[in-house]
Amino acid sequence: MECNGCEFRPELYYDDQYQIWARREEDGTLTVGMTDISQTVAGKILHVRVRRPGTLRPIGKPVATIESGKWAGPVPNVFDCVIEDANHDVLDDPNLLNIEPYEAWIARVRPSASVDEALSVMVTGDAAQAGYCERTRREDIHCERGAR
Amino acid sequence: MADHHYLDNEEKSVVIVMTSGPSTANRCATPFYIGAILASMEADVSIFFTMEAVKLAQKGVAESFAAMEGGKTIIEFIRDAKAAGVKLYVCRPAMPGYKLTESDIIDEVDEIANASKMADLILACDKSMFF
Repeated sequence: MECNGCEFRPELYYDDQYQIWARREEDGTLTVGMTDISQTVAGKILHVRVRRPGTLRPIGKPVATIESGKWAGPVPNVFDCVIEDANHDVLDDPNLLNIEPYEAWIARVRPSASVDEALSVMVTGDAAQAGYCERTRREDIHCERGAR
Repeated sequence: MADHHYLDNEEKSVVIVMTSGPSTANRCATPFYIGAILASMEADVSIFFTMEAVKLAQKGVAESFAAMEGGKTIIEFIRDAKAAGVKLYVCRPAMPGYKLTESDIIDEVDEIANASKMADLILACDKSMFF
């Protein structure tokens, strides 16, 4: 489903600004990526750097740094975790984040507490959809995917 | 995979002294972009507006121009830096020269500070940059 052309996936978990998404994995990790809103705001992404696997990430410390031609900033983190892996395909071709933001994950992280506790600070489902759509309207964001 | 994709720098402090202003528009976006990058790499970043740069902190000014034709306005670069965690200071002694008072300064600024604040920041930081 979409709001202002911004794709939303109800099964994922989001931070309260809808900058990042997280997906629960069977091995107790979470996969983290950028939302369609974030990749649109950033524009064509030229460079991604992820914290080295094994690094502890406290709340508020970025998982990764994103650089586009017009925007630079962090991929934020909303729970304590350790970086387990980075998506090498995205590191080698950051533009994948613009093309398929929900397939092109950035990092796999292992929460310091339980997965349920980590996800408890995020929003999902109908509540997330309402907030996601509200941000696209409030900031007049119209998403475009596939910028090469 | 190239190792340079991984970030493992230590936390550092960086001071960016911003002296450029509207008369050199093409110098006004990059310092905030660099500040945002550094902050997202967990550097403790301060940008100190002095000389003509205090004009960038005047309400309405940074909204009114871009560093390149058709590009983002300077206020957007300032807000990106702020969102990434950069702290913004305006040089109080430079304000009278541009007929600015405290009420003219944009809300994004963290502190209107004296020159000694800039001196403290520079003496205590790991790296300083001047634009």
